[in-house]
Order: sequence, then C-alpha cells, then structure tokens
Amino acid sequence: MVDRDTWLEIFHTVLSNPLRTGLTGLSIALGIFILVVMQGLGAGLETGVKQTFGDDAANLMQVETGNAQLAFRGRKPNRRIQLHNADEQAMQAQMDSVPAWSRLVYRWGSTVRNGNQQGSYGVRGVDPDQREIGQVNLTAGRFVNERDVDQRRKVAVIGGQVLTDLFPKGMTPEQAVGTLIQVRGIQFAVVGTFNQTGSRWENRSVYVPFSTAQKLFSNSDVVSRVAIGTGAASIDETRETTASLTGWLKDRLVVHPDDAEGVWVDNRNEQAEMYRQIFGGIRLFVWFVGMMTLLAGAMGVANIMAIVVRERTKEIGVRKALGATSGSIVAQIVQEAVFLMLISGCIGLLAGTWLLQGIAPFVDHDFFSDPRVDFRSALLALGVLIIVGVISAIGPAVRAVSIRPVEALRDE
Amino acid sequence: MSAGYLAAVIALKSIRKAYQTGSQSLTVLKGIDCTIEKGELVAIMGSSGSGKSTLLNVLGLLDDFDAGTYVLNGQNMDGLSEKAAARYRSEFLGFVFQSFNLISYKSALENVALPLYYQGVPRKERQASAMAFLSKVGLADWAEHLPNQLSGGQKQRVAIARALIANPSVILADEPTGALDSVTSDEVMALLKEINKEGITIVVVTHENEIANQCDRIIRLKDGRIEGSNG
Ligand SMILES: Nc1ncnc2c1ncn2[C@@H]1O[C@H](COP(=O)(O)OP(=O)(O)OP(=O)(O)O)[C@@H](O)[C@H]1O
Ligand SMILES: [Mg+2]
Repeated sequence: MVDRDTWLEIFHTVLSNPLRTGLTGLSIALGIFILVVMQGLGAGLETGVKQTFGDDAANLMQVETGNAQLAFRGRKPNRRIQLHNADEQAMQAQMDSVPAWSRLVYRWGSTVRNGNQQGSYGVRGVDPDQREIGQVNLTAGRFVNERDVDQRRKVAVIGGQVLTDLFPKGMTPEQAVGTLIQVRGIQFAVVGTFNQTGSRWENRSVYVPFSTAQKLFSNSDVVSRVAIGTGAASIDETRETTASLTGWLKDRLVVHPDDAEGVWVDNRNEQAEMYRQIFGGIRLFVWFVGMMTLLAGAMGVANIMAIVVRERTKEIGVRKALGATSGSIVAQIVQEAVFLMLISGCIGLLAGTWLLQGIAPFVDHDFFSDPRVDFRSALLALGVLIIVGVISAIGPAVRAVSIRPVEALRDE
Repeated sequence: MSAGYLAAVIALKSIRKAYQTGSQSLTVLKGIDCTIEKGELVAIMGSSGSGKSTLLNVLGLLDDFDAGTYVLNGQNMDGLSEKAAARYRSEFLGFVFQSFNLISYKSALENVALPLYYQGVPRKERQASAMAFLSKVGLADWAEHLPNQLSGGQKQRVAIARALIANPSVILADEPTGALDSVTSDEVMALLKEINKEGITIVVVTHENEIANQCDRIIRLKDGRIEGSNG
C-alpha cells in the first residue's frame, strides 16, 4: 500500500519540523557512520596484521633453539643449544603422525646472481612439505620435491622480487624457469617461481632443497628450525603436543625444564587464536558502540513519532471517521519511522564508506592496510535499522490506535 | 410503527448514554426513541449542552452508547468492535464537521479522495472520482489548492464532497454552517438539500432556525430527551 499518498504523508512528517528531524537523522547517521568507520578500521587492522605475520598457515608449530640460560645437569648457563640431524630424526620418530614436516636451514644475505645482475636475498633450505606449511603460491614451475632432497639437487624456487630484480624486464615467470643462477657462487637451476601477496620478506627469498643447503652452505648437520603442520588438529590438541614436545626436546637437548630460551616450540595456532580473540573483541566493541549510538537515534525517532502522533491527534481522528482502520494507522506510523531510519542510515553508510575509500590509498602501514566496509555488515546494519525503526514506532503507534475519534474531533 | 422501523435508515430505541467524569456520572441521553426514514433531511436542535453532538456521534458510530438499540440500514449496531465500526462508517456514513477537519497538507482533491484510499480504491480511480465530486460542489478549479488557500464556504464544500465520495446512505453534519456567515451558510445548505434530493439521508445538527426550517423535520433535544417532532 505504499503509493503516492503514503509518500506524501511520510514527507510531510519528515519536513514538518526539519530541525528536529535533522537532529534525529543526524544521530542515526552518526551511529551508522561510527559503526561503518570503526568496522572498516578494525578490518584494516586485521588485514594489516595478517599480512605482517606472513602467509604462513596458522596451523603450524615451529621448533627453534637459542641460548640456554640456566645451568642443568652439570652444564653451564648461557650455552648455545643446537638441533642436529640426529635430534630431528629422533623427534620425528617419537611423534605420532604429523600432516606436514619440514626442516629448515637459513642463510640470510646470500648473494644471488643472474648474468650481470646480483643482489642479496634470503636462502632457505627446506623439505617439500614447506610448500604446504608456508602456503607458497607458485606462479610457474614446481616446488622442491623429494627427489631434489634425496639427490641434493642444485635447484631453486625464486621469489617474485628476485625475479623482478635479477631478470630482464618483461620476463615472465615461465621464461625464468629453466634458467641458471648463481647462489653463493654455486650454480643452481631455477625450477619454479612464487609470489606471496602482501609480504615483502617472502618475495625476497630463494627456496632450495634442505639437504643441498645444509651440505653446501652450512657445512654442519645443524637444523635451524623444524616446521610442523598441524592440519585440522584443535587448539587444545596442539597445546598438548606443544607441551609434550617441549618436554621431550628439553630432556634430549639437556635444557632445564624452566629454561625459556634454550629450545622452544612456537605454536602458531595459539597466536592465531589470540588474534582471533582480539579481533573478535574489537568487532564486538565496534558493534556495541554503534548499537548504542543507534539506540540513541532510535529513541529520537520514537520521540519524533510520539510528537507527530500528539500533534496529529485530530487528523488521526478524522482519518478514523473516514474509515481508517487501526492497521492502516499503525502501518503509516511504522512506515514513517522506518523511512526516517533508513534514509538517515543510508546517509551514514555512504559517508562512512566514502571516508574509508578516501583514506584507504593513503594508509598502508605494517599493521594497517586496506580498510574496507564489508557488504555483509552493511546489510546487517540496514537490517538492524529497519528492526529498530519498527520497534521505535510501536509506542507511538499504540497511542495513535487508542485515539478515539470522538475525543479527537471535539471542537474546542 | 413497526413497518416504519424496518424501512428506516436509522432506528433508535431507548438509547441512553452517560459520561463518567471522575466519580460523577452525567447522563446526557436519557432514552432516545426516533426513526429517520430513507431520504429524509432532518435537523437536530436544542440548547447548548443538550446532547446534540453526543447523539450525532452515537449515530455516526464514533461513540458507543450504554443502553438501547440502534439499527442502521437494517443492521444492529450494538456492541460493535472498533474494526466493525470503522467498516460501517466507511460503508454507510459520511461526516461534515463545523471546523471542516480537512487535512492541511493535502490538496482539496486529495482530501476528497481520502475515504476511497481507505477502501483500497486504486489511485487513478479515486482521483477521477474525487474530481467528479469536486465539480459537483463547484470547486473543480480549486482541486490543487490546499485548505488554507480556500474560504470557509469552499472548505465546507470540499468536506461535503469528501463525505459524498464513498456513496454513503447517511450524511451526518454537526453544525456545518456554524463557522460560516449567513450567505455562505445558505450556499452550503442549498448544496446539502440538493444532495438530499438525490436520495441521501441527511442529519444536520444546528443552532440556527433558518437552517432547521429548510429541513423536512426538526428533532428537538431537551434534557436528554426528544421534546417533540415537527414535520
Ligand atoms: N467526553 C465527555 N466527557 C464528559 N462530559 C461530556 C463529554 N462530552 C460531552 N459532555 C457533556 O455532555 C453534555 C452534552 O454535550 P454535547 O456536546 O452533546 O452538547 P451539544 O448539544 O452538542 O452542545 P453544543 O450546542 O454546545 O455543541 C454537555 O454537558 C457536555 O459537557
Ligand atoms: Mg455540539
């Protein structure tokens, strides 16, 4: 029944007291605006933090070693702890099955050369599972495979930045595959290229087989790090594994149980869970603040509608005398309230979106990038507006329905 | 009497109504018996406070009554729900008020069309119909004017067109000329008489003898009772 007369009446209500309507509309628009902007900023923070912490999967654990701080079983404090191949094999043997497993050995600042071009990059000796664990996004060729590791092949998978820096302009990843490069003075065949979106470090890396790297570049049987994919294990399961693995490692490497720095298992699941909770909290807070502002706006609308009903008591009486039913009166008031809410809400929504879009290109910080309004929250906000509009209209509508035509029509 | 009772558009029997103000009860209608035949033009007169408006509101289903029976168009109006009252009002009755009661932000045409809106008539049809009734009251050229751009007499003619548009059996007018000078009063009365000639029953509450004398019959209220009929 929304035809021209209905619109006419809505406009009349809205325009009959522009100041009052404007102020109320403003508070609703502001509520939605705050909601949208804070939501967008929260999303920006989330994207930024996620990017900074790399593209590694969240479902992984890493075993790392450092300097033991405490004396233990006759060993002096402040001694270097290292994980050797034998330790790594024993560790793997005592674990239950694991979805993915990769040894790593690092060489920072390695010179990589292609023809006359050269630069300094990070070289990582890895096992094939690293592709899954690090979520390596191949753009051409293949990743390090089992045979590469078994045969200590001199093959390399190069990052996007290495490709751009060392290869002629316009060279595609496919063209780079099959070429030969020098890594720390030794010739390697490029078998693949990769590109990690948003991550600066990763794209300046070169992956080579673990065995090759250990033999050629580290000259020892030390494993810098072991990355273990945890697959679909629950957070509690990974906590348990982390605890038991730490205990086992400390025993094997002779590190005091209370020593925090000799050897540790970094459980990324835990971090991911923490971020999930932090961002969940931020989102909840944003919605809470937005809802409170909206609630204030809704009370404004309820107030406007109450005044409208009071001012138009006589008119409502006339309408009833002319055949208006309670239903049509309620519908009219609800439509007016929802209209007011929606128009103001859309203004807030547009202003918020516009602001976020305006600032997005200028903010690109490690912990903050690409703030945006997601469509779902926008729809949700509009849905909330409609519901709140209806609720705010209930009181005034009930009042209007209870108006008796005789009372309203009495000539004073 | 019983034949007339059945043929009557309006038949009241022992209608009683009291207003409750605080702990006090003021009985305004103390047993009204009367019938109004189809096509009659009836005036209700009586001193101020005698209960004319109260009676008209009861007739118009705008107010309920305490005791007695009211039969409108052969249907008993006793103990109606709000909803049923609204339906009968829109089906059978048209109202004209002393203070016009036009909706100020709607044009004359839209005011006239309003009853059809509540009957669910499509916009085009009700606009056309409203235009026809505006022409009938001689205001076709004023269709787009707002009420405050019209004179008192014009406003009342718009109100009469609005009362007519839903094709009611009865038009109830509470002092329709009360806010008008004598010349415009006569014009409005002439219009009502013309409408009455087409067969619509009209009940007019008035203070003025000149108005009442133009009616078929005068019902005089005194002290909550009908004093006597004069045809
Ligand atoms: N809602 C009400 N509550 C209490 N008393 C009322 C109410 N409406 C009317 N009355 C009283 O009932 C009596 C009749 O009122 P009514 O309006 O019917 O008189 P009336 O004949 O139309 O008078 P007038 O010529 O001044 O319009 C009056 O004494 C009035 O004060
Ligand atoms: Mg009166």
